[in-house]
Amino acid sequence: MVADEPTLARLMAATQKGDKAAGNVLLSEVGLWLERYFRRRVPPHSIDDLVQDVLIAFYTKRATWDTSRPFLPWLAAIARYRWVDHLRKVYKHESKELMEDDAVEDSEEEVVLARVSLDRLFGQLPEKQAEVIEMVKIEGLSIREASKKTGQSESLVKVNIHRGLKKLASMVEKAD
Amino acid sequence: MTSSNNREALIASLTQDLEPVARVKPAHGVMLIGFATLIAAAASIAGFEFWTGMLTGEASGFFWISNGLLLMVGLASTAALVSNALPRVGSRGDAPEWSALMLGVLPVAAILTLLSVESGHEHAGFFDSALWYWPCAAASLGAGLLVGIAAVLFLRRGAPVSLERSGWLTGLAAGALGTLAYGITCPLDTIGHVGITHIVPVAIAAVIGRLVIPSLIRW
Repeated sequence: MVADEPTLARLMAATQKGDKAAGNVLLSEVGLWLERYFRRRVPPHSIDDLVQDVLIAFYTKRATWDTSRPFLPWLAAIARYRWVDHLRKVYKHESKELMEDDAVEDSEEEVVLARVSLDRLFGQLPEKQAEVIEMVKIEGLSIREASKKTGQSESLVKVNIHRGLKKLASMVEKAD
Repeated sequence: MTSSNNREALIASLTQDLEPVARVKPAHGVMLIGFATLIAAAASIAGFEFWTGMLTGEASGFFWISNGLLLMVGLASTAALVSNALPRVGSRGDAPEWSALMLGVLPVAAILTLLSVESGHEHAGFFDSALWYWPCAAASLGAGLLVGIAAVLFLRRGAPVSLERSGWLTGLAAGALGTLAYGITCPLDTIGHVGITHIVPVAIAAVIGRLVIPSLIRW
């Protein structure tokens, strides 16, 4: 069970003062909290890397927590920032790949965007963009197959995926 | 090694050298940016001499209005900027946006005034040499650079989670406070000059801030 807000806040205050024991307990608890946080946002095999990434960011930026403010929203803001950064890297990778190659290969990173709260986010995309992202990025169809299935030209499929992914990343980034 | 072991090893290595940290406080950012503004003002005075017209009553109302608005934009964007340096979720204030819009009234007023002068066939208007005295804009941007550097130093100590907004705010604060710092040396106080030549640097700095700052403060 993950510790509650007052306990985490107390541990954090002690960690800021240099208490190593508190720091150890806090980082372990934060690790568990992050695991739950990312479980709904990224594929299982990416969770541990992201958790470790956020733990390092958390430790490095521990001086930015204000003891008069709640701890968990601060932690959530850091987690979301690192998550968005992760998405940005994935997006760059996706864009490059779309421009270079017709065939869509499976990669660890591709799956990330496809699983990011898609139901909720897809509702905010134009239908044509959501449709081709779903076909190519989730069902694994090639650009050509998606083109035949939707009646959109291959170039249009690429453009719609490109714009749709960009919009998705931007929606995630702007969501407070 | 399992992922659980990996994490434990990471935590152990992180806490091995755990030391007390001095909290990053928004007030420190305000002081740093305020100090940089004073340095920019001192440098402007050293380079261009203090304009005594504001003490002798020579300064026009436009001088006070423009510098007052620049101060408001500078304060609002600085307050938002330093608050943005600490991670948080939830609603954020939009005072900088509104104050920047209010500042935008000045160039509109200046252009309308100049158009009126033109249609009245008076000799000044768009041909007024003071209006196109762009060294003022350049000097304002130079003074703003000092403010911008201070803001970036503070943001790098903090952990801004909205880099684009931090970029805009840094540009706005640097442009507004830099122009204000330089403005105390400028004897040109017509609506055309203060409404255009002293406002353009704020817009330029905001755009530069948006384009340049995010890569400097990414963490």
